Amino acid sequence: MKLSLRGFGVAVAGMSLWIGSPAQADGNVRCDAGPRGNWKSLSEVRKKAWMEGWKVARVQVEGDCYEVYAHTEAGLAIEAFFHPVTLRKLVVFRRGSEIYRAPGFGG
Amino acid sequence: MRRCGRGLLWLVLAIPAAIMLSRLLGPSAMPMDLLHPTGEMALRLMVLAMLPGPLLDFFGPNRFLRSWLAIRRNLGVAAFAYGALHLLFYGLDMGSIGAILAEFSLPAIWTGWIAFAFMLAMASISREAAMSKLGRWWKPIQRTAYPAVFLALAHWVLLDREWGPALVHLAPLLIVWSLRGLAVSVTFRQARKESAS
Repeated sequence: MKLSLRGFGVAVAGMSLWIGSPAQADGNVRCDAGPRGNWKSLSEVRKKAWMEGWKVARVQVEGDCYEVYAHTEAGLAIEAFFHPVTLRKLVVFRRGSEIYRAPGFGG
Repeated sequence: MRRCGRGLLWLVLAIPAAIMLSRLLGPSAMPMDLLHPTGEMALRLMVLAMLPGPLLDFFGPNRFLRSWLAIRRNLGVAAFAYGALHLLFYGLDMGSIGAILAEFSLPAIWTGWIAFAFMLAMASISREAAMSKLGRWWKPIQRTAYPAVFLALAHWVLLDREWGPALVHLAPLLIVWSLRGLAVSVTFRQARKESAS
């Protein structure tokens, strides 16, 4: 097993190009939330999640939704999407499996 | 040179881990933020380790592919190390063994566990001593890389509910496997022609 310096260099360069770029993505939940000026604040959605009895780890904007990472009272790790204007809980996932969907929500 | 090259390779492989771990020191950093980067690194390194074999079958031996092949085991062990980091951050994020066990039965989770188990098996027999001890059994165990990569991809798709990123990672493998298939069929046809004439 002998390593040639040039071959090694090319391999490392190619490897760095590919592995250096993040590919993070999330499911395509769409909230049809409209202009951001009308959105409620992040702290309001955090409070809404807290009122569900969840221990909130993170609240962030995902597409045109608010996305909440939290643990339920039963200790389940969940990912929930809220409408940014109405703060309605739209859909909740547990490790990719849908465990709640608001009636009539198809986004 | 060889030892220096390996050292440099491991340094390069360790840089993303160092960056990830340094991110944890930030004020708002959480273990869950490192789940994606560590998982992606593990998968990418695993794919990189699986590419040179089929490429060598198609293009024939050359210095570049030989060098790549020479570091294949290092790439595989590094993939396992990133997989172990992924598991560590998962454990830290979940906070308790009970919570981890409670979601073990979810498809998005058990696929990841089994992929990791395969990676653990491969990494544990990566040294020369294990290779000679296992003899002809070494290769079949290393071939668990195939189910491991598919399970890891399924783990990703099920968690993110999105096919795109996982398919981007599968694409290089599909290309090189097609090339290998092509090379094998050409060789087979040539051999048949020669035996007929």
